[in-house]
Amino acid sequence: MQGANFDVVVVGGGISGIQAALDLADQDHKVLLVERAASIGGKMISLSKTFPTLDCSSCITTPKMSAAFHHRNIQVWTSTEVERVESRDGVRKVHLRKHPTYVDNSLCIGCRLCEYACPVEYPDPFEEGLGAQRAIAVPFTNALPQKAVLNPRYCIACGACIKACPTDAVRFDQEEERLTVEAGAVVLTTGFVLNALELKREYNAARSANIISPLQLERLLAPHGPYGRVLRPSDGKVPGNVAFVLCAGSRDQSIGVPYCSRFCCMYSIKQAMLLSGALPTAELTIYYMDIRAFGKGHEQFYQNAKAMGIQFVKAKVASIEPVTGDDLSLRVELEEEGGRVAERRHDLVVLAQGAIPVFEPSKALNTPAAEDGFLRQPDPVRITWTGVEGVFAAGCALGPKDIVDSIVEAGAAAMEASRFLALRAAGGSPGKEPDQLTNPIET
Amino acid sequence: MIRGSAQVESVASEPRIGVYVCRCGGNISDVIDTEKVAETIKLVPGVRVSKVHSFMCSEPGQAMIAEDIKKEQLNRVVVASCSPFLHELTFRVAVRRGGLNPYLYEHVNIREQGSWAHHGDPEGATVKAIRLVAAAVHRLYHAEPLEQIRLPSHRRALVIGGGIAGLKAAVDLAAKGVGVVLVEREPELGGRVLGLARLFPTDDSGRAQIDRLVREVCNNPNIEVLTGTVIKGVSGFLGNYDIAVGPALAAGAAGVDVGGAKDKKLSVGAIIVATGHDYYRPSLGEYGFKRYTQVVTMPEFIDLLAGASGDGIQWNGQRIHRIGFMHCVGSRQIEGIHPPQGDGKVNDYCSRVCCTTVLHQAVHAKRRFPNLAVFDFHQDIRTYGRLHEDYYRRASEAGVIFFRFHGDDPPLVEEGVDGFPIQVRLKDWLTWGEEVVVPLDLLVLAVGMVARDNRELVNLLKLPTGADRFFQEVHPKLRPVETSVNGILLAGSAQAPMTIEETLASASAAASKAACLLAHDSVELEPFKARVDADKCIGCGLCFPECAYEGALVRTSVEREGKTVTLAKVNPGLCVGCGACVPVCPTRAIDLQGWTLNQFEAMVDGLLSAPLPSKEVTSESSSHGQTH
Repeated sequence: MQGANFDVVVVGGGISGIQAALDLADQDHKVLLVERAASIGGKMISLSKTFPTLDCSSCITTPKMSAAFHHRNIQVWTSTEVERVESRDGVRKVHLRKHPTYVDNSLCIGCRLCEYACPVEYPDPFEEGLGAQRAIAVPFTNALPQKAVLNPRYCIACGACIKACPTDAVRFDQEEERLTVEAGAVVLTTGFVLNALELKREYNAARSANIISPLQLERLLAPHGPYGRVLRPSDGKVPGNVAFVLCAGSRDQSIGVPYCSRFCCMYSIKQAMLLSGALPTAELTIYYMDIRAFGKGHEQFYQNAKAMGIQFVKAKVASIEPVTGDDLSLRVELEEEGGRVAERRHDLVVLAQGAIPVFEPSKALNTPAAEDGFLRQPDPVRITWTGVEGVFAAGCALGPKDIVDSIVEAGAAAMEASRFLALRAAGGSPGKEPDQLTNPIET
Repeated sequence: MIRGSAQVESVASEPRIGVYVCRCGGNISDVIDTEKVAETIKLVPGVRVSKVHSFMCSEPGQAMIAEDIKKEQLNRVVVASCSPFLHELTFRVAVRRGGLNPYLYEHVNIREQGSWAHHGDPEGATVKAIRLVAAAVHRLYHAEPLEQIRLPSHRRALVIGGGIAGLKAAVDLAAKGVGVVLVEREPELGGRVLGLARLFPTDDSGRAQIDRLVREVCNNPNIEVLTGTVIKGVSGFLGNYDIAVGPALAAGAAGVDVGGAKDKKLSVGAIIVATGHDYYRPSLGEYGFKRYTQVVTMPEFIDLLAGASGDGIQWNGQRIHRIGFMHCVGSRQIEGIHPPQGDGKVNDYCSRVCCTTVLHQAVHAKRRFPNLAVFDFHQDIRTYGRLHEDYYRRASEAGVIFFRFHGDDPPLVEEGVDGFPIQVRLKDWLTWGEEVVVPLDLLVLAVGMVARDNRELVNLLKLPTGADRFFQEVHPKLRPVETSVNGILLAGSAQAPMTIEETLASASAAASKAACLLAHDSVELEPFKARVDADKCIGCGLCFPECAYEGALVRTSVEREGKTVTLAKVNPGLCVGCGACVPVCPTRAIDLQGWTLNQFEAMVDGLLSAPLPSKEVTSESSSHGQTH
């Protein structure tokens, strides 16, 4: 594999990366899709349903995953992390680290016998820690590839998987590999992570299991989720009074995330709607600063939620305190009552955490990040160009955005990358396009 | 022209059918007893394998099907799962992986039409699922292997609209070696962006961005630009569209220079619709519009501010000291509160760009004229995009004063007192709903974006529009820039309100999709087309008036027993497979490939003869199911 050559390396196998890879491959480019996790699918594959159409998320992600995985022009490398991208002398060099999975993928048939034999269970990362996972397992039902992965942090090296495996695929001695591939262009679709649930100390998430992240609620709402129904984590009680706290990690200078994370309003409304279906008697309250329902069909979705009886309260949530019965007391400043401060009690609280970047441009691409930490977009007409020759980006790598906007932008990045390759092949010098590297925001 | 469709071999005599029932991770199996469906369907003749899986669309599910085809020598496959819209193609590909012709496959929807529709009646839903699957099995008894139709295509695209979306799509496609014809109705390229003096978040002028793209367009020999030109006629299909264009205004109209635009015919393979938007036009008296001269729209204000001299903003000879911005004018309208638009509907959508536009203009105005008092009337501040929130912060820091109203109780614009021409009266919900009166010299209405009146184009292209009157994509996530007409794509604000950055992304995405469709010299079409059996056709011509697709049915002369007879023939490129011609044929000479009359009859047999699981579940008990 060392020295392998591709037209384009797409970094990140979430929905943006999958879409970019598909668009490039359909234009006959040879694509390498690199994913750090053991399966492609990104955040989207773990969601329950998507706003505003309420499509089942698995149902619209799996066909794209499958199409990319089986495309004759796409190679997919999972458990592979990009360390550095170099752009020099007209060539992109991508330095990769292939993490050991302790399973030989050429032999594993995904039968899961190792998983059934493994005696160790740990909190399932796919279920956001709510369910249990074996120390060796196929990561989740519709993971792609369907190959077992051993987690060395929990493995007790008992050898049960080795005995159970019908193809002798388990390799305790597998080691990390480092390799470098060359490509004409690179598309970065490295996505986002949520900032820590415990980040705002006044919300006391560390002191209550019933203050949960929106991704945990997605799993609780998924039909194939950890419990098969919505239960609160501390005691398995069916929640009867749920609070959503918006902007709990965004639009907040004090935690260094002054920007809007863009999708929280809508997924919170969606989650409240799905909860009102799952728990018809539950009271559902969304505490907000502004409801940002700006996309196609979003405002109508918001108005439907209001008509369904979901409470929208314009308020600042000052603090959250655990109280008796594993419940939570929210201290809120009710804006529509002249700033009156009230204590509101809920039995489950969802914090809309902020979306922050994963990729570090200064370390991995030798280029400074934008002020918000995401990749820069220095050219106002080629918005998916990162400012580094031959390196493009899409989706949340360029700042938070919803699935629709990410998919469209992925198509755009594929177009720019393909265009770059075409110009280069024609002997043009695409790197010499108008230089607009000044910081776009005036000071 | 048609690859392999003439040699429709009948498949191995004995059907060996595999049935695969999907649980959809509970979406189906929480209501329908999927195990029982799979078990019961084994009783239908020809079913060799019948299995259940949690996610049939996942890799293990697909692999299972492909493997069974080889191992059990299956020659037909049924999957009972979600809507075919989502996964019919997925399973056709899986079936082909197993070595079987992908059209020996039948998709049964037991989710949207089963578990979701009948969630209160599990037994009834289970019986219905069994009947639907049995019908599919019977239909497959008569299935024939089909091949996609491959037709040569033009590696050239038509881009309709020379605004920023059309320009961007054109330069992207041309760089890929795809020829482009860019058609613009106006005499000049550039569209609405030309009128924007300062863009957020770059503070560039609109003209600077347009000039750059126009330069690229004009320097590219692959792009032909036709300004002052409109689309007059469209026929054809993916890969082979025939377009007629002509001057935008009737030639010879007195005093109108059409810039030399001529009637012309074009052949293209794909069409990108980049026709943009209009600004909302407030009705007479809406927020004082046209009642008070001091009420202007945002585009008017942008010009006013750009043209303001060093000593301040002047309007109608008056110096402006106090200025207000009204959000959501023509957007987020509520039925019963706002008067309906021309089509009887209100604009219930958010126009997405106005909040940031207001704050961007407010910040700019405050910076140029620090003594200006600026007031903002909003419902929510939707500065969602990258760097947008910055304008909100800077507006607050610059002293812009915010008021918040409820959509069902919009502010009133009244005649002012104490020398102020107008005033805004509202309940302010940044307090406790206190009634406030704000005297102003000028009120700017942040008018929303509305779909253009594209009636002619809609008719020519046969494109669907949504309830918001914008062009409708096939699926917002699966196919966000494609329309239901194969080969026609959407770019920019013709689809929905969007910012310039989002418009550029959408234009490039549409160009990318066009480049995929036109990557080769030919295109492939689905084989579900009408077929005429020349031996049975008597040339009666009854089918012709039924066909709604010009050119899909053509007359062809053949020699028969020494005489020349005129028979019907299908042009598979233009036939959409609607089937309107089939029932009028007196000799059953016309049939739809993949949907033959025999197959329909067999489906009815299947529905009625389906084995039902056990005594307590009968069609009778399900019909007594409670209604709620």
